[in-house]
Amino acid sequence: MSSLPWMSAAGIAAAYKARRLSPVELVTDLLARIERLQPRLHVFTRLDAPGALAAAREAEAEIAAGRHRGPLHGVPVGVKDVIDVGGLPTSCHSRLMRDHVAAEDAGAVARLREAGAIVLGKLSTHEFALGGPSFDLPFPPARNPWNPDHHPGGSSSGSGAGLAAGLFPLALGTDTGGSVRHPASACGIVGLKPTYGVVSRHGVFPVAWTLDHVGPMARTVADAAALLQAMAGHDARDPASVDRPAAYGAALDQPVRGLRIGFVRRFHERDMVADPQVAAALEDVAAVLAAEGARISDVDLPPLGEFAAVNRAILTNEAWAVHAPWMRTRAGEYGQLSRQRMLVGAFLRAEDLVQAQRRRRQLTRAVNAAFREVDVLLLASSMDPACRIEAADEITRTYPRQARTPFNLTGHPALAMMCGLSAAGLPLSVQFTGPLFGVAQVLRVAAAYERATGWHERHPALD
Amino acid sequence: MSPEELRALVRAARLDDVWAAFPDDVAIAAGAAEAIGRAIAGPAGPADELWPRMRPNDEPWPPMRPDDPA
Repeated sequence: MSSLPWMSAAGIAAAYKARRLSPVELVTDLLARIERLQPRLHVFTRLDAPGALAAAREAEAEIAAGRHRGPLHGVPVGVKDVIDVGGLPTSCHSRLMRDHVAAEDAGAVARLREAGAIVLGKLSTHEFALGGPSFDLPFPPARNPWNPDHHPGGSSSGSGAGLAAGLFPLALGTDTGGSVRHPASACGIVGLKPTYGVVSRHGVFPVAWTLDHVGPMARTVADAAALLQAMAGHDARDPASVDRPAAYGAALDQPVRGLRIGFVRRFHERDMVADPQVAAALEDVAAVLAAEGARISDVDLPPLGEFAAVNRAILTNEAWAVHAPWMRTRAGEYGQLSRQRMLVGAFLRAEDLVQAQRRRRQLTRAVNAAFREVDVLLLASSMDPACRIEAADEITRTYPRQARTPFNLTGHPALAMMCGLSAAGLPLSVQFTGPLFGVAQVLRVAAAYERATGWHERHPALD
Repeated sequence: MSPEELRALVRAARLDDVWAAFPDDVAIAAGAAEAIGRAIAGPAGPADELWPRMRPNDEPWPPMRPDDPA
């Protein structure tokens, strides 16, 4: 079995530099793997093999000529199909957008191309990053590489599944209610939702603009940091974009000794009682970090249900504002889940939105207050391992059982990563979150946990 | 929610055609909206409004920038 599919972006960059590997060799190997696994996993909505090979040849020539652009030069990346890549369709996994071809790269993609990254193609999502997993859309839903009968999480489903399957080392996702962190949890990879405003959403089809984030996804914490570094930065075309340069990977190698980590147990012990395997894995995470010298203490936040309800009120309102014209005239072209979820916004009242915004402010204050006592919060991401994708009742039951939406509402950075395997061999996950603009702190804790446990070296048996 | 209440909401939202084609989806969405309205109830007042954060010459959007301390 080739080791190329499991190489990290950092390892690829080192191999290029040492002339042990070339971009064309890597892309050719990955394209062959994609051809073999795509029929089982449905990771791509559009693979751009000619474009990827052309970019690989260009990168190879530049690197050979000594014009090395940096750590992502010649490194393949997959892009969720709600994010524009110039010349490729942005289908949003929907009949309504199937023939829409993007005229130019999204802000984040343009930055990655400047850094020399190679776009392999567009990746499966839920319809408009909201309605899924569904079997009534123009593309089938992505499957979980750890067990293709199971859901890979969503809505950045192809991003998570493709990383776990070794189809690419880096991917872009979007996160409005947890859509980067859910596939990271289900597929056992690293998914980071940065602080609101850090990555441009220009050229990204919106779900809900005050909750939407673009985030890096990777198999290692260092790769997620490098990807974020390449695509972060101010973009005047996104009104929420902030101008706060930072060195996201600066603290990756620092130990966590003395760091104050707050363990939010109430979410998975009281508000939504987690699967015992998830609860036990979270206790193990706390024990590992304590053994590394971190100071673990209990932290309380408002009930998880309050965050979820307020997030849903705002999300469905804003999504309805985007989709109302199409929904009134082309409702039959949406998948059923999209219709059910988006129509909610049509029936919320003006006073509901005002109330939701007031509650949002209260909840944001509560999270900010927690970060006056601790440096990072440790908490659940998913309350259950991934369920079977075709078990509609299980999807409906488990989908809301998560603790990711609070940080879309409040804008705080949050990262989900693997912290174990269930008895059935499916990934278990933990979430770390930090203060506003405290991404480097979150990455520091995640990297220390990764070093101490090595879960990132476990891969599904696909070969 | 009574059928009459649902009919009135559908009419107000200009969704009569969607209701005719997908009555179950519309009913599920209307029920979910009602549940959300109940779930977000709770004490909140002028101190929680977004507008006090705005200063002269501030852009009115976005309403909650993360670097705007809550």
